[in-house]
Amino acid sequence: MVSEVMVGNKAIALGVKLSRVKVAAAFPVTPQTTITQYLSELIFNGELDCEWVNAEGELSTQVIVQAASRVGARAFVCTSGPGQLYMHHPMHRTADERLPVVMAVVHRGVKGMQPDHSDLMSQLFTGWIQWYCENNQEVLDTCIMAYRVAEDERVRLPIAYGSDGYILSYTAEPVEIPDQDEVDEFLPPYKPNRSLMPEDYDPSMTRGWGRGGDPQVPWRTQHEALLGAKEVIKEVNEEFGRKFGRRYGNGLIDEYRCEGAEAVIVGMGTIASTARVAIDRMWDAGEPVGLVKLKCLLPFPDEDFQRIGREVRAIGMIDRNVCMGIGGVGFGCIRNAIYDLEDRPKVIQFHAGLGGKEVRVGDIMKAAEKTLKVARGERVEPLVEWI
Amino acid sequence: MSERMTMRQVPLEELTITPGSACQGCGAALAARLVFKVLGPNTIRHGIPCCPDSVTRTPRAGGVFEGGGAMLTGTWRALKAIGREDVNVVGFFGDGGTYDIGFQGLSAAAERNENIFVVCKDNEAYMNTGNQRSSATPLYARTTTTSIGVRSRGEPTRKKNIPMIFAAHHVPYVGTASVSYPLDLIAKVKYAKGLRGFKILIINCPCPTGWRYDPSKTIEVGRLAVQTGVWPIYEILDGRKFRLTYKPRELKPISEYLKMQGRFRHLTEDEIAELQAMATEEWNRLLSIDGKELNF
Repeated sequence: MVSEVMVGNKAIALGVKLSRVKVAAAFPVTPQTTITQYLSELIFNGELDCEWVNAEGELSTQVIVQAASRVGARAFVCTSGPGQLYMHHPMHRTADERLPVVMAVVHRGVKGMQPDHSDLMSQLFTGWIQWYCENNQEVLDTCIMAYRVAEDERVRLPIAYGSDGYILSYTAEPVEIPDQDEVDEFLPPYKPNRSLMPEDYDPSMTRGWGRGGDPQVPWRTQHEALLGAKEVIKEVNEEFGRKFGRRYGNGLIDEYRCEGAEAVIVGMGTIASTARVAIDRMWDAGEPVGLVKLKCLLPFPDEDFQRIGREVRAIGMIDRNVCMGIGGVGFGCIRNAIYDLEDRPKVIQFHAGLGGKEVRVGDIMKAAEKTLKVARGERVEPLVEWI
Repeated sequence: MSERMTMRQVPLEELTITPGSACQGCGAALAARLVFKVLGPNTIRHGIPCCPDSVTRTPRAGGVFEGGGAMLTGTWRALKAIGREDVNVVGFFGDGGTYDIGFQGLSAAAERNENIFVVCKDNEAYMNTGNQRSSATPLYARTTTTSIGVRSRGEPTRKKNIPMIFAAHHVPYVGTASVSYPLDLIAKVKYAKGLRGFKILIINCPCPTGWRYDPSKTIEVGRLAVQTGVWPIYEILDGRKFRLTYKPRELKPISEYLKMQGRFRHLTEDEIAELQAMATEEWNRLLSIDGKELNF
């Protein structure tokens, strides 16, 4: 294993290389663009044996990897913000066909150039597994784990993993690069669910429009497959930890200093990495607040939040998104998960970092203090806060 | 260049399964029958929403309407990656998926010269959704979105010249064909199949339901399109070598073609004369470049 100081986008490209991707397609969009440069370099200098398509737009990149995965080639695509929105339509199909495509999303908000999670959040209905990463090491490791989970026979679903634009994409950090041999042991070659080769033709391949039967069944089976993926994600995270010495919580969430905490705050992506410092300072000041990093938004780890909900009196969700007209996505999901608990804690809402607004340690400490007040039964205003 | 074929050379094997979803007298269903006979079973057929949805005895991959070019690209690149370059990667798309919503992706695939074969069954409107105009709809044609009224004489603009647009991408093969000239059509598929790189064949497919004529007249309507110069059949190699593959000694008057179809029933003499002038001019232009090198 070697270590190198590298930016997030390079870590993503190395993850793709180590995963021995066979077909990759991309279109340049800030802040994802340099992944396409790193990848084309790796491919053209012979370090990665991969078909590389410089496509004419994100819609095509999604369709290209979908088709490649269907044929039997491990496929990778990456995008940001507006590109993510542009590829929305075929993303439904990739999940519907249960194709284990992996996509890196270098977050960029949809209201300008700066980072927030509104790009990937806008894909909640497409049926993709969604992960949010907090540092460059996690970005690299997550690519490898993503293929392992996506291609697992029990899952067979596409995975999108996020890296906060600029904050990670263009920031250099030390990253350990796993050995190729070890990655090969961890990640066996990809085989498609069924052969598309003419010699394996059977008449059921000719299905056209309409599938017959109960039209709700495809929705239900896909939804249940997503829910079922939680166990596989935990398993793969554990196995990755055994092999490479790095674990990301239980694969779904990562709890930091939650033991003995009266309240927890929840953050995603780099908000979680900043929050680690804030939480340390809280404990130093004698204020018992823990951090839950929400890595896996879809499928949502209900069970983990139910367990946490029994242990604390308040949960403060810091959403780097807003589903306009409803509220923060993470907030809604957490409240939903804990609602049936006998003695449920309060859940309060913070919005932070939208449109790339900077989120400082102090901001998160204020959110943590407010959450602790709620846990102790104090009245707070306002109930929904834009940090 | 494609070579003349005889009826005896046409493969007997049928690759399409009847009835599919076609109407009586469907030109596009006939196109599918002819095209897949020649492509043979070592083919993956890619479908996007189109009319009719043909059924073939080959594996089928489906995808989003706008994604035809990208879908073929992804399949071809993956076949290359897994060492199966022998398989024909074929898109069987309608005019909407080729001229309109799918154009960007197809243009990009052509520009990258992906090793794929696009067959466009051109029935000159969105027939799947009920005859709405597309950019393949000819001038003055009545469709359900270009109805005839005080403010409309039908389709207001000329049909997009898609074969020449693809030829300007300098791709190995561009051809036009007609279901009414099956030997010519088959010869073109056979020739193009053997080329490496981007191939596209645009087939004029009369549609009795949308064009409003008796379903028994499909072949006749298709033949008149060619014989009046409305749909010249030709091929272009590498965006340079141009050849008309059928040259009537004299063009028939365009009115013979128009009067068979309800979609042109409202036309005035002046409008017919205008369409005649356009067809004659285009035909003379093609005659002047026949057998020569194009210069895009």
